[in-house]
Formats: sequence, structure tokens, C-alpha cells
Amino acid sequence: MTLIGTSMVRTDAVEKVSGQSVYGVDVEMPGMLHGCLLRSPVPAGTIKRLDTTTALEMQGVHAICTSADQPDTRAGWILCEQRLFATECVRYEGEPIAVVVADSREQARAAVDAIDLQIEEEPGLDLVTAMADDPATPLVHPEWETYQPAAGPETDHPRHRNVAAQMSSEPDGVDAIFEQAELVVEDELISNRQYQAYIEPKSAVAVFAGGRYTIHTAVQFPFNVRDRVAQFLGVRPSSVRVVGHTIGGGFGGKLDAALEPITAFMAERTGRPVRIANNRTEDLLTCPSRENAVIKIRTALDNNDKMVARELFCDMDNGAYSAESIWLASLPLHIAKGVYQVGPTRVISRLHYTNTAPTGAFRGVGGTYLYAAVERHMDSIADSLGIDRRQYRLDNLLGDGDTLLNGQVLNDASTLEKAFKRLDKILPWDKTNGSKGPYQGIGLGGCIWLTNPMPGQATVKVNEDGTITVITSANDNGSGAVAMGITQIVAEEFGVGPGEVHITSPDTDVTGFDAGSQGSRTTHIVGRAALDASLKAKEQLFEVAAGMLEASPADMDIVDGEIGVVGVPGSRISLAEVAAAATWTIGPIVAAASYTTPAIDFNPACASGLLFPTMPTLTYHAHMAVVEIDPITGQIEVQRYAVVQDVGRVINPTGVRGQIQGAVAQGIGHTLYESLQIKDCRYLERTLENYRLPLAVDIPTVEFIALEIPDSEGPYGAKGVAEPPIALVSAVLANAVSDATGVPVTKIPITPEDVLEAIGG
Amino acid sequence: MNLASTSTLVNGRSVTIIGDGATTLLDFLRDSLGLRGTKEGCSEGECGACTVLVDGWPVDSCLYPALAAEGRKIETIEGMDEGSDLSPVQEALVATGGIQCGFCTPGFVMTLTALLRKQPNPNRNEIVSALAGNLCRCTGYSQIVEAAVSLSGVGEES
Amino acid sequence: MPLSHREISPIETKVNGRQNVLEKRGKQVEFRRSGDLEEALTSLAELGDKAQVLAGGTDVMIQLERGEIFPETLVHIERVEGMRDIAENGRLTLGALATHIDLAQSPVLCDRYKSVAHAASLIGGWQTQAVGTIGGNVCNASPAADLLPPLLVHGTNVLLVSKDRGEREVSLADFVVGRRTIAREPDELVTGFSLDLSDGRTADVYKKVGRRGAMEVAIVGLAIRLSVDQAGTINDARIAVCSVAPVPFRAQAAEQALLGTKANGKETGSAAALLLEQVEPIDDVRATANYRRMVLPRIFESAVADCYLLAAKDLS
Repeated sequence: MTLIGTSMVRTDAVEKVSGQSVYGVDVEMPGMLHGCLLRSPVPAGTIKRLDTTTALEMQGVHAICTSADQPDTRAGWILCEQRLFATECVRYEGEPIAVVVADSREQARAAVDAIDLQIEEEPGLDLVTAMADDPATPLVHPEWETYQPAAGPETDHPRHRNVAAQMSSEPDGVDAIFEQAELVVEDELISNRQYQAYIEPKSAVAVFAGGRYTIHTAVQFPFNVRDRVAQFLGVRPSSVRVVGHTIGGGFGGKLDAALEPITAFMAERTGRPVRIANNRTEDLLTCPSRENAVIKIRTALDNNDKMVARELFCDMDNGAYSAESIWLASLPLHIAKGVYQVGPTRVISRLHYTNTAPTGAFRGVGGTYLYAAVERHMDSIADSLGIDRRQYRLDNLLGDGDTLLNGQVLNDASTLEKAFKRLDKILPWDKTNGSKGPYQGIGLGGCIWLTNPMPGQATVKVNEDGTITVITSANDNGSGAVAMGITQIVAEEFGVGPGEVHITSPDTDVTGFDAGSQGSRTTHIVGRAALDASLKAKEQLFEVAAGMLEASPADMDIVDGEIGVVGVPGSRISLAEVAAAATWTIGPIVAAASYTTPAIDFNPACASGLLFPTMPTLTYHAHMAVVEIDPITGQIEVQRYAVVQDVGRVINPTGVRGQIQGAVAQGIGHTLYESLQIKDCRYLERTLENYRLPLAVDIPTVEFIALEIPDSEGPYGAKGVAEPPIALVSAVLANAVSDATGVPVTKIPITPEDVLEAIGG
Repeated sequence: MNLASTSTLVNGRSVTIIGDGATTLLDFLRDSLGLRGTKEGCSEGECGACTVLVDGWPVDSCLYPALAAEGRKIETIEGMDEGSDLSPVQEALVATGGIQCGFCTPGFVMTLTALLRKQPNPNRNEIVSALAGNLCRCTGYSQIVEAAVSLSGVGEES
Repeated sequence: MPLSHREISPIETKVNGRQNVLEKRGKQVEFRRSGDLEEALTSLAELGDKAQVLAGGTDVMIQLERGEIFPETLVHIERVEGMRDIAENGRLTLGALATHIDLAQSPVLCDRYKSVAHAASLIGGWQTQAVGTIGGNVCNASPAADLLPPLLVHGTNVLLVSKDRGEREVSLADFVVGRRTIAREPDELVTGFSLDLSDGRTADVYKKVGRRGAMEVAIVGLAIRLSVDQAGTINDARIAVCSVAPVPFRAQAAEQALLGTKANGKETGSAAALLLEQVEPIDDVRATANYRRMVLPRIFESAVADCYLLAAKDLS
């Protein structure tokens, strides 16, 4: 009876449904003090006065720190730009200027209010101004040339002034083809920010003892947070220990450090454990949200209706500091063609500093707006040519042997055609398109996505009672990659029930490096590492059992938690017996393995500034949606949403389905309900009352079919599942709404106002 | 000194609430009673992660003054299981996969428990309407609603 | 573009010196429970504007946490008896402590004052409706308060009591005088509301425009109350809107335009145009003035059509 492919209940379900899980916000230490940050109330300006005298005398206050106290360091994921506190000037609303630590949260807040802060406000730089790249525009970072890349000066990348990163791919012949084109189609798309809005706001608890910092926090990438804290505090990474706890959602927003560096700093300052937690408004204002972007795309068509050349320009809003966004500026190269055959393509992507909150990774990253731009453009081209939108896509789909713009060969791109055809079985295009009502619209799109290739590690030990412990810093921010994926894989290997497998919480002191819960990597990478470690552990078991049974290790197997000789039903011994016996002979059964995806061939000359060069362990996707607009209010109802996704192998159907449903819901949120409007460099939305997360009433049940084409390297053939379903949602809904109103959608989110304007305001 | 005290029942046990007017039931439950299962998500009554039952009604404890609970019967997630077993609502959520990160889960358990006590056979629309005050960011809701539907006598009709 | 006070971040600090909230925030707030009306009135007479009346708390507790209000004492009236009833005699009376669920499920409201019941069912989610009260919604006097348009179209009066001066009645229109501003003396308590009785050929509807399917602060809220004579001609028309001006109001010109008509498309269109002239919508975080101007006539025409059908349903 195999566990793989069964909807096994996740091993953390009972503790979660009973309210017993300890999240980051639930962590408590005896003698713990509470911190509160003084955050900049303005997006840009010079700090004229910062006087903490009165605040220091207030009841319960233990310590107050500002830039005057900080180590002389700069930190950053890729480029080291940031100091612990805003120093001399502020660059975004919400930037930390000072911290108060007191006996209670209320006392800390009251003391923050008593700090005498005067800022001479200056006009802030926004994306529109930054894009103009005028030499007269003030610099968000006047010292940009002094900033060092985190991985060493030889890894520096193209950047200048307010352009934090630039990626350019300019193959020959593009302009000539455009000149000869039969038709040129041109489109533009603007996409607004999206806040991750995990239900658990960020927090950290830090303890300083024996020269080391221990930080308890709920983060998706503990090793990254460790490194960031070490950078800010000017210590070695091994002086910092990050202990993970259950995460109340992350979606990319908890990959980098947030409160941890200042919390650790104050733990040392006060000699006491310190806790700092964001309230919801702080969290919203300062979370590294999905960036806003402007995409311009144009395609040259020949007289056979083929897309013979393309240009795509992408301008992305970095916010005031870079974090991971520098890598993400490379993504447009991989998506500029979409999943279609297009001739030589020029792609220029620029990431601009602005005086707004630093942006970062949110599930699907720039894929959401890039696919929206490309898929809107496909509809636009099909409409210009008078060809059915689905047929035009099928006629131009990538196939086996085609390449991406980086030269990466797609050996299995024919999966796309399979996906489109399978999709049609759930939601038949011709029939639905042909019978839609006056206010309905239908939209379609396809995408490719990667599975993050970065390393993971697992140590498997077989305990003396026959249970299995997996020691790893892999975590899932809810997806179930650990509580289902890795658990099922290991349980399957040893032929035990899932209740016999225990997976540790992350601890950077104890485990090998793990690249965190991102890019759908955990089941694929750490599942593979855990599987390899399990195989090694089994070899040890067989060696010991062979001695106990006087047989050859090569003849042994494990079935239902018992070890014996293949084909000999009697005289099998339990895992517990063997593990216990091992302890006194060869030693405890412990085996470790790590895995990272092997590098993929590509053409390094394809672009400059390409920091994220390939799309490893690709998956293929096709989505379709039916919407109906309300002609009175302009509201948009998503009536049907269908997904066909290539997953390699379904480890847990309930888990996989939950990821598809959740991702599509977030995509619907971004496209139709949520908005982070920026005016004068400040967010208009600041609470969950006006940052509208979709409700149960707003989200349809997604109709989902998995394609299982096993990956050669993944555990049981599994590839990444959880991130990509969001990447097509804006695209497909924008296409469906454009179809319903007859007017092209050119921005995300799509508002009821847009719809009423389209149908005749 | 503006602290006052009063008594109430929390999960069947008599407790003394000590606080001032601004002390919320949420803060009291978490900080004074150590009942951490009820979560703080927004402090403004939007997300429902703090939902508890007050005399059987779902209430956002982040907005409910602790001292207003005098003489009332408070139930939190910690009081939901039945001995060593999960309640039917909890079992159903576990079974359908309506739990991912789990931070919103206690709030959903409380609201669904209240709903099914007052209305044992809600249809899908009634379930979805009752859940308007509970946000989930992970699941996209379908499996949570299916859990409730599985407990309703009406089943899949809507 | 001015941001409303509630939209200013609670983390914000004035750039030049401290907020006056500082002086208040550190202090604890007294919680004074009122066992009955007399206790509540005595507390208010004693404390005046140092007190904040507290019923369900769904608005007050947020404002307290954010430092938007800083009372010394919360006068808790949730347990006061006799303030939660819904009854008809002479007028329809609604006790100030009636919760939104009480209103939404009230048989008499669902029968003949549908706009009130429906509006109540759209305020927040179940958690808000279980403890939020009509008194709280009215006294909070948000420009988007869902109950205000339905109450306005029913000719509502507000009932107030004070220890020293006894009872007082004032029209709702004269009670809500500005954005979040009511004409209540510091020692007065709102005990209830009285509405015009509704007869057989009268119907009322409430339409709310939001973004999501629930939990919305109204982008536009519209209540219509129509009465028809035996011939099906409108002989009484009342229209009230919220979220398109600082205070919800009755649109008299549009009401006049519907009188004597049977609300055909052209007539309703004329009334819609007059309604549009009377509103002053702004751009805010939820929607633009432009959208409000586009959606208002559309939702008006839909509401009038629905309401007329209901009012005239018993006619052949």
C-alpha cells in the first residue's frame, strides 16, 4: 500500500486545528522585554532632530537606540545598501529610525511617541519619475557607487544612479525585422503592488548569550535571515542562530530578515530576551510586496501571421532598498516570449530605486504581470489578425526542442499542447465562447515556471523504537511540503505510517543549509535529499540486519516496517530491533544527503546583467476563466476557473489541490480586489479594512487537472507545484474581462470603474 | 489606578478578569490566561483570526472589552476538543485539507462551530455568508467550505 | 488629497514634537458598567465628555486602540435592560441596543422595513453583527454608515435621555450634523429610534455598492422608500444616500421627480440626474468620485425598479 499519491492527512493538522501550534508570534521567554519601533512618517527627508531624552525617562523603558548606536555596517541580500537604522535621512515611509525596549508593549509605544523627531521632508521619487532617468533627478542613494555586492566585488552587476539593476538582451536583427514587418502590434500594461497579507504579522524574539544571538522567528529562509542579521551586526554568520517556528503564511514576504536584526541588537544591548512584533499597519507598510511595474511590448508580424520579432521593456519599482529584487530583474528575459514561438526578441529590464517601501518576492514574483502583458498581447495580436484567440496560441505554441531566449532547450515543451488540449475537456473553448451571454467573457493563457534549484539538506535517523526523524531546516509556510511531501516520501521509503516520521523544526545550528520555502522547491529538493538520505540509512539497516539474519545485505528489503530477505516471508525483524541492535555495533543509524538541481546549459552571451540565468525543472501550465461583469456596478464575477498543471508526480492530491486553489485565490485578489495605490510615495491602503483580501464568497472552486509526467530527478518524479498557479491568473482574467467588455484591459488591478468606463460610463 | 476585575467562564472554568477599559478579551486570553490558540491578525475586526464564542455567538475578541465578559460564557479553540478527540468541525477541516498554515484555523473552527449549533443544516450560501468575517490567505476557501458542507445535513445543495 | 483621520497610520508620529495622544495613551481607561439606564445616565451626568459610551465596541475599541479617542471612562451600556426591543405602536421603535442580527432577523423589519433589515445584514461579518448595535452605527455617524439611509427614508427620530433634562426627540437628519459628528449633549444617552409606520402599498430597498461580496464599507449606499396609490402611481417617494457626501442625506429634488409617476425608464432617469446633481462624492481609498458618479444613477434606476415592483405588487 503506497503512500505516494494518497491524500494522507498532514501530520501537523491536529495541532493546528487545536490551536496548539507555536507560531513566531506565540513565542515567549521568561524575562522578555518588548520593543517598538519609531518609524519614519514620511517617504523622504533629512532627520533634523532626534532627541530621546524624555523618552528614556519614561516608565518601564530599558533602552532606546538610534543610528548613533549602530555598528558601522551595511547589509543586503545581494547588494549591501542598508544600515540598521535610518541614518541622517529617511528613504521610505515606515523606515526604522529608533527602537524603544520596555517592560511592556504599551510602555514601549508610549515612549516611541515621546521621542522628539523632526524631519525636513523632501519630495520623494516615484516610479514614473525614476523611469525618465533624468540626470537632474535626485538620487535615492547618493552613495550608490560605494555599495558592495554581498558575494564579493567580482559579482557586481549593471547598475547606475537610480537604476538598481539592469538586464539587457539585444540580439541582432530585431530592428531590421520590425522595419520589414507586415504588421506591428503594440501594447502596454501597468501592474500595481500586492501585499502578501499573511494572517500572522511579523515578529522576532532574540536572546544574546555567550557572544551569540539566538533568534526565534517564523521565517521562510532561516539561513538567509541568519546571514542578514550577521551582516547588520558585523559578526560571523555562525554567531547567529535562527530557530524556526510554525509560520502563519509567508508567500515570499518572510524570506528576508525584517525585525530580526534590530531585535538581536537590542537583546545584546539590554542583556534580556527582547520581542518586537509588527502591528498590521506596520506590517503592510513595510512588507516587501510584489513590485509595481510598467511593461511595454511590441511584436512584428509577417504575412504568414507569424511573430517574427519582439521588444519588451519592463520597468520595475525596487522601492528604497533592493533585497532580492536585483535577481528578479532578470525574469523578463524568460517570459518575454511567453510559451509561443517568437523571433529575435529585445528585452530590457530596469529596476528603479524609489522612495517607497522596498519591494520583494511574492509568489509568482514578476511572472504575474509579465504573463499578463504577454497574454494580453497575444489576444491583441489574434484580434488584429482576426484569428480565434485559442487557435492562434495553438498554432504558435513552443514544442520539443524549442529554446527560451537564454538558449535553454525545452525538451518537453510539447506538454504545453497536451495541457491546452486537456484544458479544453474541462472548459470547452468553442462551446463556451460561442454561447456566452452579453456580459460574459472568456480568457485563456499558458505559462512555464521553474522549480527553485537551490540546495537543501536532510539527515535521516532511525530511532531505537523504529521511528524515523528527519533533521532539516526545510520548512513550509503552510503548503504541506514538510507535513505531507517529505513525510510521505520518507514514510514510503521505510514502509512505515506517517505517524512514525517526525521532522524537526528549522535550526541553523543543527542542520545543513536549506534555501528555504520558495520557488516550490521543498518537496522536489529536500524530498529528494531526504529520499537519498533514506536510501543510505537503509543500506546501514540492511548491513546490520544481514548480520542478524545471516544473509546478504543485497538480498534484503523493508516491507511495512519490517526488514527481511526478499521472498522469505518468515523471519523478518522490525525496524526498531535493527536500529537498536545497530546502536551497539556499527553505531546509530544516521545518514545525510543534500541535493541541488544540476546546472542547465544556456547561452551566457544572451544578455548582460542576467543574474538569474535559467528556468530549472520546468513545469507547463494552461488556464482558462469565464467572468461575468455586472453592468450596474461594474463588478466582475469569476464564474469558472480551470487549471491544467504539469506537476511531475502528485505526492498528495489534497495538498496539491490546496496549492492550486490558494494560488488562484491570491491571483484573483491581486487582479480584482486588492490594491496598493501609491500617491506621493505613500500607500493609500493601510489596514485590512481597505486592503481588501478576497473572501469565501468571492472565490470560485478551481477546476483542476494534474498532468503527471515524472521528472527524472525529483522524488517519485515530483516537481514544484505551489508557486506557479498564480502566474497566469491576472493574464487570464484580464483576457476574459477584455472579452466581456470589448475594451482591452491595460492595468492590474481591474476595477469596477474600469469596467463601467469600458461599457460606456 | 483604573484596573477592575470581574469573573467569567472560559472553557467551562471560572476565571477572574483583571484589566482596564482598553484591555481586550484577546489580550486577556493570550497574555493573562496563556491561551495562545486565539490569534491576533489585524486588531481591527477584519480578519476573524481572534474569533471566540461569547454565549455561543462568534465575536472578534480583538475588539471585545475583556471586562464586558462579566458573567458570560467564553469558549476558545482550546475548549473545542471533546476529551482526547477532536470536535466534528475540527475533524472535518482535517479531513478536507482546509488547513494550510493554520493561523486562521482556530477562528474558522469557532465560527463554524457557532453556525452549526444554531443552524445544523446550512446550505453552501449560508455557510459562505457566515464566514464573511474570517479571512484565509492560504487555502482559497474551497476546502474549508467543503468541510462545513460535509457536516451539514443539506450536503452539496445550495 | 486629504486622507481621512482613520486612515492615518497608527505608527505615525508628528514630525515636530509629540502628538497630544501621548498624554492620554499611557493612562489606563476606566471601565464602568451600567446595570440599568439610571446608572448609565448618572455616569454620563457626572463625566460628560470625559466618557465614551460603549455598547458592542466594534467601532469604539478600534478608535481607542489607535488613539483617535481618549476618554477617561468607558460607560458600558450593553447590559441595560429595555433598550433592545423592536415594537410597533404609533411608530416603529427600535431600541438603541438592538444588534445588527436582531434587525436583520426581525420579522416585522423583514416584512415591512426591508431596507433596515437588509442594511443591517450587510454591516461587516457575523462577528460584527452579533455585537454591533444600531445605536453604535448611528452615533459613529460614518459618512458610509449603512443604517443611515434606511433610517432616513423612514423619517426616523432619535430618542435621547439625560438625567437632568429627561427625554428629547430629534429628527435623524438634525442629529447627524457632520462627518462623525452628532448633536448629542455629553450627558445624553441615545436610547432608541422611532420610524414612520409602513403600510400595505409601501416598499423599501437598500442597495450597497462595494467591491468584495461582503465586509465592505459602502462605496455608495442607497435607500429608496416608495408608496403607491390604487392606480400604481407613486404618492410618496423617499431617497437617501450615503458615501457621496460628508453626511448621508435625503435627495429631495429626486424624490419630487418621482412623485406622480409610475417610475418608467424616462422618469427614473430624470430623477437619477437630479440625484446626481445633489451629491458631492470625493476620491478616497475605496473608490474615486468618478466611479461614484457613474454607479449612482445605475444603482438608483435598479433600486427604483425593484422598489416600485414591490410597492405595486398587490395591484392588478
